[in-house]
Amino acid sequence: MLNSFIFIALPYAALALVLLVTPYRFLSNRLTWSAYSTQFLERNILYWGINPWHYGILPILLAHVVGFAFPGVFKRFLGNPQTLLGVESVLLGLGIFAVLGVLLLLLRRVNSGMLKRVTFSSDWLILYLLLFQAGTGIYIGYFMRWGSQWYLHTAVPYLWSIVSFQPQIEYVADLPLVFKLHAACAFLIVAVLPFTKLVHMLYLPVDFLKDPPLLYRWRSK
Amino acid sequence: MDVRAQIVMVFNLDKCIGCHTCSISCKNIWTDRQGAEYMWWNNVETKPGVGYPRQWEDQERFKGGWVVDGKKLKLKAMGKGPTLASMFFQPNMPKIEDYYEPFDFDYGNLAGAKESKDQPVAEAFSQISGKKIEEIQGGPNWDDDLSGSQVYAAKDLNLKDKKVIESYDSMFMQYLPRICNHCLNPACVASCPSRALYKRGEDGIVLVDQEVCKGWRFCTSACPYKKVYYNWNTGKAEKCIFCYPRVETGQCNACAHSCVGRIRYVGVLLYDADAVEAAALKGDAELVEAHRDVILDPRDPEVCRMARENGISDQWLDAAVASPVYALVKEFRVALPLHPEFRTLPMAYYIPSLSPVLSTWGDTHKLLEHGMIPALETLRVPIGYLASLLSGGNEGVIEEALKKLIALRVQMRAENLRLPADPALLKEAGLDEAAAKRLYRLFTVAGYNERNVIPPQQREEQDPERRKQEAGFGILKKTRGGAK
Repeated sequence: MLNSFIFIALPYAALALVLLVTPYRFLSNRLTWSAYSTQFLERNILYWGINPWHYGILPILLAHVVGFAFPGVFKRFLGNPQTLLGVESVLLGLGIFAVLGVLLLLLRRVNSGMLKRVTFSSDWLILYLLLFQAGTGIYIGYFMRWGSQWYLHTAVPYLWSIVSFQPQIEYVADLPLVFKLHAACAFLIVAVLPFTKLVHMLYLPVDFLKDPPLLYRWRSK
Repeated sequence: MDVRAQIVMVFNLDKCIGCHTCSISCKNIWTDRQGAEYMWWNNVETKPGVGYPRQWEDQERFKGGWVVDGKKLKLKAMGKGPTLASMFFQPNMPKIEDYYEPFDFDYGNLAGAKESKDQPVAEAFSQISGKKIEEIQGGPNWDDDLSGSQVYAAKDLNLKDKKVIESYDSMFMQYLPRICNHCLNPACVASCPSRALYKRGEDGIVLVDQEVCKGWRFCTSACPYKKVYYNWNTGKAEKCIFCYPRVETGQCNACAHSCVGRIRYVGVLLYDADAVEAAALKGDAELVEAHRDVILDPRDPEVCRMARENGISDQWLDAAVASPVYALVKEFRVALPLHPEFRTLPMAYYIPSLSPVLSTWGDTHKLLEHGMIPALETLRVPIGYLASLLSGGNEGVIEEALKKLIALRVQMRAENLRLPADPALLKEAGLDEAAAKRLYRLFTVAGYNERNVIPPQQREEQDPERRKQEAGFGILKKTRGGAK
């Protein structure tokens, strides 16, 4: 029951929400599409929170996504025990970095006069979700060796079964509870993404890299 | 040559009385909103002073504007790679303390307070946190009229000799009203990773597309004039819009319209978009002249032909000929760009202030001997100070403008008193009698339509078929802004 909820109901609900609500928000109200930075009001703690968080979590997220996209390559790459140890150590370090960062981001919003004004329930929700997600991730990384290896044999085929609409939860059904919570939280984050300021991560400024510095707009051209 | 038109403002600093009416009319129309309380798209500073936000001229701190790197221009702050790496935390962004914590007063308490022995007071509270503020720490014109000059004016980067403001004998002050300069080479536009900021081709107004802005905040520090503000409520950047809804329909900007001293002039300038980068690459001292060269003569038939090719209408070309801005900037060469050394080619110009003419009490008699024409070095506002503000340190540019203003004064004084005027003085300053008459008229009695020559946009004539489809119930179906 719990398995079907976490591994079938949640991912499809999350997919439906992110695929339907995101374009709706983009087309109907782009005025709310912002990273909602609070650096203007408080920057000292932010510096120590936001940088560790982003620089920690982005490589880890990337590792998850690339592992999902090219499992074969990664199976060969991680076949060497030294490489495996190296990758796991680096990712664990980045994970600890990220957890400390998000913890600071959460604490800085507690009892802060000016920040209170720009903190909404959605901010608390995603901060708690991200803290939980990063925390369980570290737990799995440390106590359930070697995550980057078995991820490719369990979660990745399961995720492929989800996106091909033939859910095969037996790949992950027997894994420990903490993994299930990690997966559930991941789906929750995807589900709430279009409703929160997390939408800023869907925007990658690549045009900017090739554009000339000055931008003109003409009404008539 | 790529001829484009821009609506430009000129400020006559001699006439600014620092009444802040411009700031108030701007605030009432555009920034009287949550998240925008601290924004002063138009503000008036006392110079010498730190300005608003505090020490905005200090580019070592805020890293605004451009620098020349070999033979190329680059943003002072960072290139594109570091920009991507700094998206989470923007190291140069001014913080709210650099402006001030916006406040209001609890007027309700005056009527609603419980009966007591003491008079109820309206206490200050923060417009962000809502909490009571015991002691207000700052405001948009905190050092107005040199108040606290040892703390504030002494930190003015343009003031080389701090002793000037320590003695009543040598102290001086002037006002500096500032809006967004709507630069030809805007650093804010170049710094935006979302490409939300853009310059309008038709009238040169620089705007932030609120639908595209993602709040990465690079513009707030890239603008060396600190005229792009971060709205803490919407999470997006905002800036002076040059009152485009008014200007498009031929009305004057709110700040210029409400100006009590009538110090502002609004008109069209034609410029060569192809020459902008080369001009910005010049050395500090040559920047003003290079900037003037970018501005084109609307009476030149070749310029007019190229302008028409670019879709500039005859009405706009006529306005460019009648433009008081063109006269002051290019013909009479008295209006100068603010801090040209930031290399954004700012398109708001300032006529340097002349008064007070007398230097010290003792010098008065000497001046009388010289027939009321003070030597430039005896002016109370040091030329070096004005040069630091308005010409990238080139004192010759300031002297040229001041000479004209002084010669004009002497000429008009002679006319008023029916004394014989010395034509050599005008000639030496580069003016003749007709020019002096025109300049005098612009500075004094010129009415609204002489000071502000603003051609409307004539949107109805641009693609009438398309426009007709768009109009109707106020529903705009296409994306705003059009093609890049």
